[in-house]
Amino acid sequence: MTTLGFQAVRKTFGPTVALERFDLDVKEGELISLLGPSGCGKTTALRIAAGFEFADSGQVVVGGNDITSTPAHKRNMGMVFQSYSLFPNLTVAQNVEFGLKTRKVDKAESHRRVADMLDLVQLSATANRYPHQLSGGQQQRVALARALAVRPQVLLLDEPLSALDAKVRLTLRDEIRRIQTDLGITTLFVTHDQEEALGISDRVGVMSNGRLEQLDTPTTVYRHPANTFVARFVGSMNEIPARSVDGGAVRVGSSVVTTEHGLGPDTDVKLLVRPEDLRLVAEGDGLAGSVVNRTFQGASTLVWVRLDVVDTLVSVDVAGVGAATIAPGERTSVAIDGSRAMCEPVG
Amino acid sequence: MTQPLNTVGMFALADSGALDGTPKPPVASGPVGRPRRWVGRIVPTLVLIAAAVFFLAPLLTLARYALQNVPTIRLGWSTLFDNWSLSGVTKAFDDPQFWPTLTLSLKLAVFAVALTLLLLLPTAIWVHLRLPRLRSIIEFLTLLPYVIPAIALVAGIVAIKPHARWFLNSDYALVPFYAVLALPFTYRLIDAGLRAIDLRTLVDASRSLGAGWGGTIMKVLLPNLRTSVISASFLTAAVVLGEYTIASVILKNTFPTFQRVFVGREPQAGYGLFLLTLVITILLFVVLFFITRPRTSPRKPFVAPTESSAS
Repeated sequence: MTTLGFQAVRKTFGPTVALERFDLDVKEGELISLLGPSGCGKTTALRIAAGFEFADSGQVVVGGNDITSTPAHKRNMGMVFQSYSLFPNLTVAQNVEFGLKTRKVDKAESHRRVADMLDLVQLSATANRYPHQLSGGQQQRVALARALAVRPQVLLLDEPLSALDAKVRLTLRDEIRRIQTDLGITTLFVTHDQEEALGISDRVGVMSNGRLEQLDTPTTVYRHPANTFVARFVGSMNEIPARSVDGGAVRVGSSVVTTEHGLGPDTDVKLLVRPEDLRLVAEGDGLAGSVVNRTFQGASTLVWVRLDVVDTLVSVDVAGVGAATIAPGERTSVAIDGSRAMCEPVG
Repeated sequence: MTQPLNTVGMFALADSGALDGTPKPPVASGPVGRPRRWVGRIVPTLVLIAAAVFFLAPLLTLARYALQNVPTIRLGWSTLFDNWSLSGVTKAFDDPQFWPTLTLSLKLAVFAVALTLLLLLPTAIWVHLRLPRLRSIIEFLTLLPYVIPAIALVAGIVAIKPHARWFLNSDYALVPFYAVLALPFTYRLIDAGLRAIDLRTLVDASRSLGAGWGGTIMKVLLPNLRTSVISASFLTAAVVLGEYTIASVILKNTFPTFQRVFVGREPQAGYGLFLLTLVITILLFVVLFFITRPRTSPRKPFVAPTESSAS
């Protein structure tokens, strides 16, 4: 059984702590994304798994074997990099064959695997081309084929889509997920793009300052963030000044919103609520305000409303074409669904 | 003095409509635009011709002196096509010192190239990967042999000569000195090559695919630094085949020292030899140009195995 585990891994670069007591278990055939802002330690974790960096303390375990001090070339990992990493002097087929040659795989078997992998990423027709003759998306697919050809125990993906344009990124993202599921390969995916992470992962790990803040399914991370950092980092979040009252509720102006904050009464808080948990309602039914702007997003529209009572700008997600008639300057009211809201004490 | 300039400026503004406030449509390129395009083409051509004359005229003069059996005083336009012959150059081939010195210099060139690459390539790779902050210091150090004249190096060699006779007695003692003299050129070429590739990613990719450091350098980095490595090798060889001072001071009979002696004895044939060396060097650079061009089709195309061949 091939699993990947980090056990209390710590890594520093001079005075900077890149990872602090980092624990993670990637189950067999699972795809876990590490998501976080720049410098949070996600790439360091991946590089430690690959063997390009070594942990100061803690262990890295693959399939039950401690590989903490095994050099990179002796670990059986496949890796796809952020920048185009194909060897410019080799053709597509030779690139895919590279890892098989270093492992001294029999020539016939090697040829068969190269053909299979190119077939898998649908690039058989480009076998004899050089990397500079391919598009960015094609290069990353070849890099994926090359990483998979050696039948790695674990697949490591270091922001492989970040250099690609939006449309290719979406297609390749789905393709990576399809291939990963088909092969059932244990995968660790590093990205700073939350849409990517939420879109293809079995579980998402949100990192900050070298620590894992939350590790859960994409739905749970989005719907029930473990803390305000995760809530703010994943998706967009409105922050509305409020004051706690008894029974887990908060008061925003004269409106009372039921939440599950667990704070004592009379505490100044920020109410964190997602745009889709706000609704535009008839004037007088919620918090009054004026429409400032609207941003058409295709399937929905974000309507920006300045709430009178707290003088705060909030965004409201209006599905479908419901917001088409709303104009800036129009008076409206906003109702808050507090069931998924979070509260953060101020000060 | 400023009046005419201002007047010109005023006309330009008025013409563009900036003064009367009415924008004018762009004027189609007519007879006024044509001479400018013509000038744009002719000026670079003239510069190229001037540069070609500047470089080729001395070579042509050298060729006439070395390869025309005409007394120097009679070399002029009227004798341009008279008595051309390779006899001057071939005379050098018959000299008993020619082949031994050439062979020694070629051997020294091979060893100097090998030493340069063995020392420089891993060092430059390591500095780029692990010690990027040292790059400027190394750049400065490698520039020193260019700044400090060879004669200063020779003074140093003379000073250590009594203590290092065992080493300096060998002809191959010249190899490390040549490697040092070539450093300003070779380091810059290798450094430029390393900057041109995504070194860290290529190394990481190679190692993640199971290649050790040796395999990574030989199979991934060297082929991608081919232009730099070949250029550095040629330049090192050129330094070896042209260096006279050190070889002369430590009494080695290399090709340049032979040339110096030969030209004193047989001036015309000696200059013929210089010309031949130059031509061979130019030909080497032409070869370099062709062999470092990026490949667009593989030597052995990949053919996917069919069902029957796979079984």
